[in-house]
Amino acid sequence: MKILIGVFQKDGIEHYIVQENGVISLEVDPKNMYFENYTFIKLRDPIISSYESVRNGEGVFDFRYGPVTSGVGEAGIYHLYTYGERILSVDVDLSYKSRKLDQMISGRDPKEALKFVESICGNFAFSHSVAFSRAVENSLGINIDPVTESLRIVGIELERIYNHLYVISQLALAASQKVLSSHLSYLFEESLRLNKIFSNSRYLKNFNRIGEIKIPDGEKLQTLKEGILKIIDDFKKLYDHALASGNFIDRLYSTAVLKMSDALKIGITGPTLRATGVKEDLRYGNWMYEDLQISTKNDGDALSRMEVRAEEIFESSKIILQKIQILQKIQNFKTTPESMEKRSNGLGYCESPSGTIVYVIETKDSKISDLYISTPSFFGFKGVANAMIGNVFTDFQFAIESFGINFADAAL
Amino acid sequence: MSMIFAYISFTLYILGILFSFKREASYLLSFLGSIFVFVTGIIGTFYPFTLGEIELLPKIYMSMDVNHLSGIFMTIAATSWIAISIYSVDYGKFYSKDMGLWLNLSMIGMLTIMMAKDGLTFITGWEVMTVSSYLLILKSKGSFKEAFEFLAFGELSTVALIIAFASIFLKNGNFSLVQNSGTALFLIATTFAFAVKMGIFPFHTWLIGAHVKAPSNVSALLSAPLTLMGVYGIFMALSVMPNLYLYNFEWWGILAVGFGAVSAFWGALQALAAKQLKTLPAYSTIENNGMILSAIGISVIAIGDPNLQILSAFATLTAIILTISHTFSKSLLFLSIGHAKEALNEENIDDLRGSWSAVGKIPALGIILSGLSFSAFPPLIGFVGEWMLLETFFQSYKLVNVGEKIVTTFSGIFVALAIGMAAFSMVKLTGYTALGFDHGKKSKNMPNMAMKIAEIFLITFVVAPGIFAPFVVKYLGYGIFTSGLFGVPKPFLIISSIPVFGVLSPTFFTIVFSILFIFPLFFYLSRRKKVRKIDPWNGGLSLKENEYFSAPAYSAILEIVLKKIYITKEKISDYEAHIEVVDVVNLFYKGLKSWILKIEKIISQILMNGNLNVYIIYILIAFTVIFFILR
Amino acid sequence: MKWWPIRGLSRFLTEKRDYKSDTSVKPMKKIFRRSLHVYTIDVGNSNLLNFEIKELQSPQYNTHRFGIYFADSPRHADLLIILGNPTEKMVEPLMNTVKQMPEPFGILIVEENEIVEENEKNSLQLPNVVGKLKNPEPEEILGALLKIMKGN
Repeated sequence: MKILIGVFQKDGIEHYIVQENGVISLEVDPKNMYFENYTFIKLRDPIISSYESVRNGEGVFDFRYGPVTSGVGEAGIYHLYTYGERILSVDVDLSYKSRKLDQMISGRDPKEALKFVESICGNFAFSHSVAFSRAVENSLGINIDPVTESLRIVGIELERIYNHLYVISQLALAASQKVLSSHLSYLFEESLRLNKIFSNSRYLKNFNRIGEIKIPDGEKLQTLKEGILKIIDDFKKLYDHALASGNFIDRLYSTAVLKMSDALKIGITGPTLRATGVKEDLRYGNWMYEDLQISTKNDGDALSRMEVRAEEIFESSKIILQKIQILQKIQNFKTTPESMEKRSNGLGYCESPSGTIVYVIETKDSKISDLYISTPSFFGFKGVANAMIGNVFTDFQFAIESFGINFADAAL
Repeated sequence: MSMIFAYISFTLYILGILFSFKREASYLLSFLGSIFVFVTGIIGTFYPFTLGEIELLPKIYMSMDVNHLSGIFMTIAATSWIAISIYSVDYGKFYSKDMGLWLNLSMIGMLTIMMAKDGLTFITGWEVMTVSSYLLILKSKGSFKEAFEFLAFGELSTVALIIAFASIFLKNGNFSLVQNSGTALFLIATTFAFAVKMGIFPFHTWLIGAHVKAPSNVSALLSAPLTLMGVYGIFMALSVMPNLYLYNFEWWGILAVGFGAVSAFWGALQALAAKQLKTLPAYSTIENNGMILSAIGISVIAIGDPNLQILSAFATLTAIILTISHTFSKSLLFLSIGHAKEALNEENIDDLRGSWSAVGKIPALGIILSGLSFSAFPPLIGFVGEWMLLETFFQSYKLVNVGEKIVTTFSGIFVALAIGMAAFSMVKLTGYTALGFDHGKKSKNMPNMAMKIAEIFLITFVVAPGIFAPFVVKYLGYGIFTSGLFGVPKPFLIISSIPVFGVLSPTFFTIVFSILFIFPLFFYLSRRKKVRKIDPWNGGLSLKENEYFSAPAYSAILEIVLKKIYITKEKISDYEAHIEVVDVVNLFYKGLKSWILKIEKIISQILMNGNLNVYIIYILIAFTVIFFILR
Repeated sequence: MKWWPIRGLSRFLTEKRDYKSDTSVKPMKKIFRRSLHVYTIDVGNSNLLNFEIKELQSPQYNTHRFGIYFADSPRHADLLIILGNPTEKMVEPLMNTVKQMPEPFGILIVEENEIVEENEKNSLQLPNVVGKLKNPEPEEILGALLKIMKGN
């Protein structure tokens, strides 16, 4: 199943960014391909609307949520059209968060640009960084050695763990499961501290670089291993208890349902897509992931999304421990990037905690002359807008939290 | 001597009819007439008198009198009429001249009802009232269906009344409505007739359509004095019954409590979901009349037990206070809403917002105070009435019979729910209509001096009787229920039983409340210059026109949760959506109507199918039958 | 099923240590010594600062023991924490929010250092600014809040 996640023009020719079976490919000038989300991606309108647009009728009004609310921490607006309780149609306004970072990046040296890339979305900083570096490396013809690649995988999985912990903690909070939420947020903070010990940054910033990565010493690897084991052990207990709580499960079950057909139509990737029953993950296409177990659920509701995320936490920890084991055996950490032929444009992608991040860059005189970024949150907002239709106000928090998306990632 | 006042008021009303070619004169004459009714009522309350006796046939008289009960009701009704008459001086200009005629005539009809001493006079008054009200409803355009429904239900009660008075005639040989002349059939038939007029569930549907469609002064007339006639009728019917305490009329009491409570609950429930400006007060009328009926019911249950005479008296007092509260507050509500509605030319609660700033402070205050009164806000008259009703229900534990206990307990629950929901619906009504944001709308230019006077007049009657409720209780002749306790001097305390069960002093509440409220208010006013004025907090941006919370959305949660009761349908099409709520009783009548039409069609096809032979056979059969009967 | 509060209590999740703030954060009035209600507003940060504020509410820091609470409306707050550098469209909502703060109030500006250097700064005349933090960790924010609460 091909999923269109980006459209850009180069030299007057249209290029499609298409994801299929864990691999991203560029389709140049595809005349015979039709995707329903083409116009949505092409226009990149900062106001994302649900397919249903019911805005008139007796008592129907626009319940504006944002841009300054404590429910949505970020600067963005949800326009919920309703006649009371029932959400009839949704507009999401991203324009309040728009910092025009993609414009700021072009014209810069890749190393300098990396800092901006990491500032697009703080909690996906490492995924953005890796995807961007891969694009630059692809363009500059740098080949990455297995050690760096392994460390990148460790970083991506660490990011996945803390983001998923955060999402589940927020879902628990939305359901007023305060104790569960507090314990999860404890683990969340612990995982951030672990990141700090491992990479010197709580959000794994400045850890990845173009063509290389900061190599941690053996002691750090050992600390990471112990820390991960402890967090996962705690999380397993919490998660088992959470699943035993009828109140909590009841609140998530059949809330904000996104069907598989809709998810594919929109271009959703990541855990949200997997929660609808599609086994699609970019980690599939990476040979460095050995015996990867990808979990899927079929309901497409908030509960399925939470379950997929929880199972991914266990899988990520497994991957990290595997990689640490391999890295600990290697004595010499010195890495030498191999050079390959240079190209004017480069494609880089990575499976972020919430879905596919793709960078397509173009270089000129070793400066970035043009770039195209595809982020999962942009599609996530279309998904959340559609999933909320027919739900009531009280389901709102579950809908937005379960998608694990944010304005910073979508608005750039 | 005192009868002169009554004659003067009749004369003034008739003059009002004659002068109907001149609008102002007609309404002013009805105003003067109502003042005389007011005075007659006060005199009659304390010094009963008889007037005008005409002998039509031997033993068959038409006669009138004013006694304690009808005196009280005349005073209550006259207060409402005075306000409606003044209001109509301005409001009547929007309608044709004959409105004054029918208004005066309907007042004559009601006055006749209250003064009737015999069945014939009563029915005459009843018919005059019904027909003239029907014609009044017709004054607004497109109201034929609703007016006809009103007439149909009105005639239904007339038929029931004819049966009732016939039963009296069979028993006593005359139509006189004096003590100990009623029969059980009389009680059942009159109760039915008056329950229909009060809009008791399930006979309330006529009331909604008529109130909504009628001009606002007529709505006030229909809702307050006209349904008051139903209440008066029930009191009258009970007064005619022989020795209520000797014979067992508990069954009547139980039925009244049950139907009253269900009515109150149903009215309050439907008022919540109302979207049109006048539907909400109309359903509130059903709620209030239900509460009045249940209070009367408890009074009748209790009167059968010699130990519970005090409870019975208190329940009767409760019913009268609730009647006063409803008549004054509802007249005020309809008049103020009519004012705002006319000024802004809107039909729905959602569209008419912020009359405080857009129309004026007086109509807005009228809406707020009447709304507060219906939400049982102390110290307004509605609060006193509803407190007394709950006290009555609390005391129903004293009843001996288990069945009575069960019915009163569950009815109490329904009534308490109704009171709570009434507050909810009144917040919806006043919150939007009076206090909401006006969206820059301006009222149209129209004369409104008389309207304002009428509103201020009624505001006084909503506030003052509440604050001085103990004196109202004394005035009504129930001085035993006023006392002094806990440092409150006599008679400023209303007690709900002897020995004391519950106490309330609206007067002292007002004093304490004023001290606690007015002092901070002055403190606030004196520091006002330092107060920083900012927009309400709306997430960092000021609200756009379509971002204001709408009135239907306010009650949508209940409509969705209680979808089994409301038969809620959420209609969502591609570009439009709304919630549809149905009154189940309406569906019942609709079904009934279609069945009757079907049967009528079948019968007409059998009997009047254009076949000459069938006609001839029919005539022959009819002739033979009649021949044999009259042989 | 475990009894959660007991589990929580038995694990001593709250850390006991001193939180220091080296930045030039100014203390506010003495009345906030025992209770400080905080409202945070995001005006365009990379969501990282939002996460740090969320983290501040985790059991490790347990801000309630110091009397620091997170309010749901600026009208309930004593201190406004501005996260990030205002984007073009967020200037108006920010100024509206500042207007909503009840007197006396303070404003703490928290920024990310990466973009601040490059991004054209919106010269907003913000009143009552008590301090400015750059890319802080939760413990630094907590230190600053505690210093603000000390009173002068």
